[in-house]
Amino acid sequence: MLVAPSTALAQPATSTPTPSSSAPIVYVNPPKSLIPEGRTLFSEDCETCHGVDAEGSYRAPNLQGLGAATIDFWITTGRMPLADPTVQAAEKPPRLTNQQAEAIAAYVTSLAPGGPGIPSVNLKTANISRGEFLFSEDCAACHTITGVGDALADNVFAPSLYPATPTQVAEAIRTGPGNMPRFGPGTLSNQEVADIVRYVEYLHAPNDRGGAGLGHVGPVTEGFVAIVFALGSLMVAGYWIGGRATR
Amino acid sequence: MTTSKVRPTSPDHEDAYDRPVIERLIAVSFTLSVLATVGLGVTYWLGGQPQVEGALLFVALGGIGVGIVAWGKYLVPQGPYVQERHELRSDDVEREAMHASLGRGLRQLERRSFLLRLLGASVGAFGLINLFPFIRSLGPVPGKSLFLTDWKPGSRLVTASGRVVTENDLEVGGLLTVFPEGYENSPMNAIDQVVLVRPATTDLVTRPGRETWGPKGYLAFSKVCTHAGCPVGLYQQLTQQLLCPCHQSLFDVLTGATNVFGPAPRPLPQLPLYIDGEGVLRAQAGFDEPVGPGFWERGA
Amino acid sequence: MSTLEERAYKAADEIDERFGSARFVRNSLNKIFPDHWSFMLGEIALYSFVVLIFTGVFLTLFYVPSTAQVVYHGSYAPLRGQRMSEAYVSTLNISFNVRAGLVMRQIHHWAADVFIAAIVVHLLRIFFTGAYRKPREINWTIGLTLLVLSIINGFIGYSLPDDLISGTGIRIAFSIILSIPVVGSYLAFFIFGGNYPGTEIIPRFFIIHVLILPAIIAALIGAHLAIMWHQKHTQYPGRGRTNRNVVGIPFWPAYAFQAGGFFFITAAVLAALGGLVQINPIWLYGPYIPYKVSYAVQPDWYMGWLDGALRLMPSWEIVFGPTYGGHMIPNVFFPAVLLPGLTFGLLYAWPAIERRFTHDNEEHNICDRPREHPVRTSIGVGVLMFYIVLFFASATDVLANFFDTSLNLVLWTMRVLLFAMPVLAGSATYLLTKEVGHKGEVGEPKVPVEIRRTEEGAFVFGELAVVGAGADEKIEPLPEELISAHPTNGNGNGNGHHAGAEATAGSDVDGNGHGHPGVLEVPRD
Repeated sequence: MLVAPSTALAQPATSTPTPSSSAPIVYVNPPKSLIPEGRTLFSEDCETCHGVDAEGSYRAPNLQGLGAATIDFWITTGRMPLADPTVQAAEKPPRLTNQQAEAIAAYVTSLAPGGPGIPSVNLKTANISRGEFLFSEDCAACHTITGVGDALADNVFAPSLYPATPTQVAEAIRTGPGNMPRFGPGTLSNQEVADIVRYVEYLHAPNDRGGAGLGHVGPVTEGFVAIVFALGSLMVAGYWIGGRATR
Repeated sequence: MTTSKVRPTSPDHEDAYDRPVIERLIAVSFTLSVLATVGLGVTYWLGGQPQVEGALLFVALGGIGVGIVAWGKYLVPQGPYVQERHELRSDDVEREAMHASLGRGLRQLERRSFLLRLLGASVGAFGLINLFPFIRSLGPVPGKSLFLTDWKPGSRLVTASGRVVTENDLEVGGLLTVFPEGYENSPMNAIDQVVLVRPATTDLVTRPGRETWGPKGYLAFSKVCTHAGCPVGLYQQLTQQLLCPCHQSLFDVLTGATNVFGPAPRPLPQLPLYIDGEGVLRAQAGFDEPVGPGFWERGA
Repeated sequence: MSTLEERAYKAADEIDERFGSARFVRNSLNKIFPDHWSFMLGEIALYSFVVLIFTGVFLTLFYVPSTAQVVYHGSYAPLRGQRMSEAYVSTLNISFNVRAGLVMRQIHHWAADVFIAAIVVHLLRIFFTGAYRKPREINWTIGLTLLVLSIINGFIGYSLPDDLISGTGIRIAFSIILSIPVVGSYLAFFIFGGNYPGTEIIPRFFIIHVLILPAIIAALIGAHLAIMWHQKHTQYPGRGRTNRNVVGIPFWPAYAFQAGGFFFITAAVLAALGGLVQINPIWLYGPYIPYKVSYAVQPDWYMGWLDGALRLMPSWEIVFGPTYGGHMIPNVFFPAVLLPGLTFGLLYAWPAIERRFTHDNEEHNICDRPREHPVRTSIGVGVLMFYIVLFFASATDVLANFFDTSLNLVLWTMRVLLFAMPVLAGSATYLLTKEVGHKGEVGEPKVPVEIRRTEEGAFVFGELAVVGAGADEKIEPLPEELISAHPTNGNGNGNGHHAGAEATAGSDVDGNGHGHPGVLEVPRD
């Protein structure tokens, strides 16, 4: 009785190849021309931890075969270079431009192929309702149903989705950065990923018809407002009306 | 908190509380209220808008309220006045009379104690029998329901949309919610729900007897938290833990979803899997224990 | 005589003709109410309840209490085409399509939160001023019952929309009922009409929420007010105030206007929140689907202490015997059944407990100042601290995220604070009240101690002779002319009483068994 959306909205598990103009996501590897710039940047910013050939060290994981999408995600969200290696990498203003991120991705993928290219999401054909359904099934448990993020166990946290661009959302879904699970084509089709991206975009400015959104955290902030502001102001009004004991 | 700056000669004289400034303020308050109410009417007629409605309601109701309170505080006698508390208890004469009246009936009851006990029995019994419709009729007895799920030997794993799960569907580090085939839309999907994960197999510590339960690194656990029944939907794929969002029970995937932190008292029951000839994931059998939170009728 | 007076007198006379109501009306209008801001807290609750009824009736005209599945084709695009319960669809409908629907729904929800908050602060006032003592023990019991029923009704109310977050709460409620030893599984299956989730709980919740509990709550509120009316309100100690009188403002017109106006002010604040601050945006949560869940799911604030208790409880369980054939007292029984049982059991029993230790069976109509009762106040503060920590413990994940720290650390900190804070706060309160509190009437000046040095060099302590206003003034009872409009005369019409005069019980007993009526007489031309 409590079911998934009707079959009319069901998408095939693996999308058959379609003409690129209407494909929900197109994965593009960065052009080979960027490799020299990438090599330079990599040796400056990444080598010390990730090794000369990105093979990893005790300080940092092996990047070979992870794909351009992975590299692009970590750099464009500003998580890399890492500010503090003792805590989970946090989103911050990126040190490198998008072009530089692409260049590094081009270099690393040249070392060892594999992994998805940088996704380009076509939101025109995305279904927002299907996206909501999938988001609430696969993403809300960590990121919360409104995408504000929350603390997980052992110093891990699911970040807020507000700063995420469509490309970054798709990259995260496909590559499973850090503790985030990895949703490959066998779990979510490209159309489904595009739908989720569409819904995440909606969450950046959700329908707040009821008034001030209070950060979309939920009953915690609502209770705070009820007790401190509502009851508080009514007690102040009561003070005006009733007065003090000295009469 | 004083009430009046001017002490009237007699607090109850009609003119004693003439205060034009306050009266004017009260008039303004009521007028603002009326204007806001008119605004509410216009807003409603134009289709309504919650924030405008809220703000106008505040002025409309607040204007009335402030005006009435000010009237009651500054324009009418405040006292302080004194009133005696009458003795709550009645005097002894009254009480005696009450005892006498009560006794008139009670003595008769006492004399016929056997009948009284029968009366008690009949009313009491009828009171008890009312529990039958009001409680028993409400639903079925649990019977074996809490011990069972719809997972049977050979049940194929399907997703919420009915798609059968095959061995290459999940990436390493992936997560999927699955159900026994045919039951993804049933009311029992609340109980049958299973979380399928695929950790890297290097660090798995398999419990004795469960060596064949996780083919190709696939592990299936009941998604119903053993604490209070919420779906355990958070998978931390690096630390290999499942976290329940409700009360933060933490389950260690690599040791068979052992409860390692938080209030959950038992590990998540594990569903034994195998991969059939067509590469489809199936259950070897149902769970070897009841899923979900505890109840009186189950032991360990 | 003005036309208003003429018409009013005529109408009152007509009613008196049929009911003999003149004396009752006069006694009611003359009734004296002590005023103090802390006596208005219960009123906030009462007025919130009225707002709840008003907005609630509106909502019942649109809400559909059914779990039947339908496909949504309404105006909220991100949910279009999805299957959901009729209950959820009707709530979406109220929020998006019914004119004034969303503001009514939000006012209703804000009013529920404020209603219970007001009851709690009112309870705290009653507790800390000892106003539950004789003759008000029964009213304490009624008030506590109102608190319990309101909390339950609030939980049921916000579960009606059948959205993802409240649905998770219903799942937890099922597990809690299940955890009761011996009868738990039966009770859970009876209440839910079967195994979880079933189809019955939403319609049953509906009728409990709009009919059964509101009727009981309204009746209890009526009894609560009637008892308070009959016994008269307590008052703080002060000039002219004794245990055998009430000093304050008359019901008509002062109190009626002030209280009536306060109702509108309460409604105004609730309406402002209802339109300006979003609460429970169920369209963002989506419909409840049992295998889905969100993070950062807390119940509404008044259930927070239960949720916190569930989180802080260690993973203990009492088990005997094998899986099939054995028995278990599950983990959630302790924080979610035993703890609330003990909590409310203690609260219900408190007047009797205090009586046992203080051997005080006197009638108390004067409120205590909390600082004058170190034991009661420090016990109250300590116990309150326990529940405040539990309340904050329901937000462990949100707090960990907000303070950018480990969830595990926050949890352990809360576990320590749960026992440390009550002890610390209770002890500190005890020491403070012992130091600050003093017995005696408010208004008596505390005489400062002067330390003088004699010529021989010795130190001498003595009471300083205080010069200045009020230093050697004795507290006089209120002067006669301020107490009654008419000085004492012989015909028994206008009666003047000194403050503090003994009640002349038994004299002038009329049919109602009351003594002299109140002394306020408004001169009639």
